[in-house]
Amino acid sequence: MKATGQEVTIVMIEDDEGHARLIEKNVRRAGVHNEIVPFTLGKKALDFILGEARDGEVSKDRYLLVLLDLNLPDMSGIDILEQIKSNEHTRRLPVVVLTTTDDEREIQKCYDLGANVYITKPVDYEGFATAIRNLGLFFSVIQVP
Amino acid sequence: MKPGSSFVRSTMLMLAVGIVILLVIVASSLWLVHQNAKYSDQTAELRRVRSATIDLFSTIQSAESGQRGFLLTEEPSYLDPYAEAISQLPARRATLSKNIVGKPEYETHLAELDALIDGKVKEMEGTITSARAGDRTAALDMVATDAGKNSMYAIRRILEGFLAQTDERLRVIVVDQLSAANSLQWVTLGGAIAILLVVGGSVAIILQHVRDLSRAHAELAILNAGLETRVEERTLDLMRANDEIQRFAYIVTHDLRAPLVNIMGFLSEFENGLKDLRSHMLAAPEKQTDESERLARLAVEEELPEAMGFIRSSTRKMDSLINAILKISRDGRRKLMPETLDLKATINATAASIYHQISASGGELEISVDVPQITTDRFSLDQILGNLLDNAVKYQKPGRPLKLAITAHAESRNRIRIDVADNGRGIAERDQERIFELFRRAGDQDQPGEGIGLAYVRSLIRNLGGDIIVRSELDSGSTFILTLPSDLTKIVRSMEP
Repeated sequence: MKATGQEVTIVMIEDDEGHARLIEKNVRRAGVHNEIVPFTLGKKALDFILGEARDGEVSKDRYLLVLLDLNLPDMSGIDILEQIKSNEHTRRLPVVVLTTTDDEREIQKCYDLGANVYITKPVDYEGFATAIRNLGLFFSVIQVP
Repeated sequence: MKPGSSFVRSTMLMLAVGIVILLVIVASSLWLVHQNAKYSDQTAELRRVRSATIDLFSTIQSAESGQRGFLLTEEPSYLDPYAEAISQLPARRATLSKNIVGKPEYETHLAELDALIDGKVKEMEGTITSARAGDRTAALDMVATDAGKNSMYAIRRILEGFLAQTDERLRVIVVDQLSAANSLQWVTLGGAIAILLVVGGSVAIILQHVRDLSRAHAELAILNAGLETRVEERTLDLMRANDEIQRFAYIVTHDLRAPLVNIMGFLSEFENGLKDLRSHMLAAPEKQTDESERLARLAVEEELPEAMGFIRSSTRKMDSLINAILKISRDGRRKLMPETLDLKATINATAASIYHQISASGGELEISVDVPQITTDRFSLDQILGNLLDNAVKYQKPGRPLKLAITAHAESRNRIRIDVADNGRGIAERDQERIFELFRRAGDQDQPGEGIGLAYVRSLIRNLGGDIIVRSELDSGSTFILTLPSDLTKIVRSMEP
């Protein structure tokens, strides 16, 4: 996965290490070999994406794709989404929300805030793997700025 | 004794007293009018007697004056008044005797009077005839006998007696009339006072009664308001508790789901790994003697797949349970959208979906709705009714055609009661609370199900500010009794902070 000749980095914000591992395994199986940077805390992830000053300067010339879980121990994924989508340097970064929550209001809210894809983690592993693999296919057609 | 009957009795009594008094007054008035007429008649009669008496006397006097004048002067002109008086005399006498007919106190003197008048007339005629004949001395001698004077005295005495008697009687009549009028005045005055008292008493009783009524009414209103407030408070408490449980359930189930994803995920990874291991082991030739290899093969081929099968099925089970709780909590967290529904149409629509199942087995469905409309959340109400009707079909007594009756009526001003009664297999008393609990079921487990339906129904109906209970007897049927506020908007409004 490349954008204008540059490798795209996948930022995975997921507090459950098991989930993170399963996501990574299945992303790889889908043939996506981009670098994956995992975070278990929202604050650390924001430090990486928006910089410690939260001005987004650090991501000016970076090509990132964000995988976001909504249930994080230190902050709500919704807040992270909001901050990414309201910063002028990062608002075009594709954000895939990948979470166990299937509450319609929650989903609606994420799309309203600018989430590009919303995937509910199915308990059924086949479904889970298929979803991730489809995501891999999606990565290969998505336009990363 | 009821206060109402004493009120009716005392007002009726007052009314009766008033009517009696009025009748007395009317009767007295009538009596007085009658008396007055009688007195008037008597007065007129007496006045006629009086004038007849006076007329007669003055006629006799005129005749006497004429006689005397003629005897004194021998002027024939004096005979004119005499002649006139004598000519009028019979008529005057007739008038008097006519007017005193039937009055013995006068009549007894009539014969004497007649004799005296006759005597007087004869005396006057005698003297005048003598004087005319030129024998004035004889005439004067006749006068000098005093016979005429005496009879005139006697006549005057009798007639004056008549007058005095008449005047006395007139006076008595006037006095009587006055006293009758007076007594009527008193009766009327007394009656008026009595009626005023009766009316006043009645008004006082009515006012007292009205005051009692309005006080009772006010007390009732206060009690009612208190009751309604208590019901509303309880409803709100129930809804809040329900809301809290649902929020709790939602969070718990979500957090339970996350590890479940891992268990299922890594189980699959494990299986994949085992598959690779198995094919590797099977590819190598079997060594009969090696005990450890035999055990390893057993583990790979039988024990590990079996263990993983149990883990998988348990996890699936757990997932379905979590999904059930999620469904309840999610529908509970749904934003309620109250709208005004035609309750009858809503029940009919839900019943229509099971109608063919009932009629196919020869059952009956009866719907009677006395409530025109209800303002509530359509989705919740549909789910509640749908679940109850499905249960009725599902748990009918085998071999007995289902009889299902749905009735709805207003239980109070702002609560509606819906009864769903069936003749199904019923629920034992010890199970009647359990069936509303999540994952609990009762009776023969011969029907598929997870024990969610009634828990879901109870959660939904409590969200609507209502509640559900069951009355049932094993083997003879169950009645689910739902109570709902008739207007959810009122409750939802007061729930908002």
